Amino acid sequence: MAEDIQQKLEKYRTAPFDSRFPNQNQTKNCWQNYLDFYRCQKSLDAKGVDTAPCDWYKRVYKSLCPISWIENWDSQREDGTFPGKI
Amino acid sequence: MFRTIYRHAKKHPGLIPQFIFLFVGLSGASLYLIRLARGPHVSWDRRNNPEPWNRLDPTYQYKLVAINTDYERLKKEGPDF
Repeated sequence: MAEDIQQKLEKYRTAPFDSRFPNQNQTKNCWQNYLDFYRCQKSLDAKGVDTAPCDWYKRVYKSLCPISWIENWDSQREDGTFPGKI
Repeated sequence: MFRTIYRHAKKHPGLIPQFIFLFVGLSGASLYLIRLARGPHVSWDRRNNPEPWNRLDPTYQYKLVAINTDYERLKKEGPDF
């Protein structure tokens, strides 16, 4: 499982088609992957497992999201005003 | 209301196409609105079912008519956690 995530990460070019977001508006895709990355980190940290597989979500949101949004959300997370549920 | 429509249609039969179009348009619009409201992209119940689009398997067809997407062979990309 972890090995094929590593393989996938090495062969990564761009965010693949996500059937949950089939239309032109991909904002929810960006938001969902951002949330998933931090949720994955939190959950794998709580289990004490290596969080390297979560990097898939990080690569995807870095491909999809505008940089200003990522910076905005990061500062909101630090301030504790992040609107999403992590 | 339907009796009024019936009486008017008998008096002026030329109105019948208009009633047909009106009926088809209204029912089509309301049916599509219902389809949108029941879709998995909207979350009505934030406490119990916050993200319904995450509970479906990757081969679920979101679009009404899938022309190019081969929905059978899709799979979940990211790791589980």
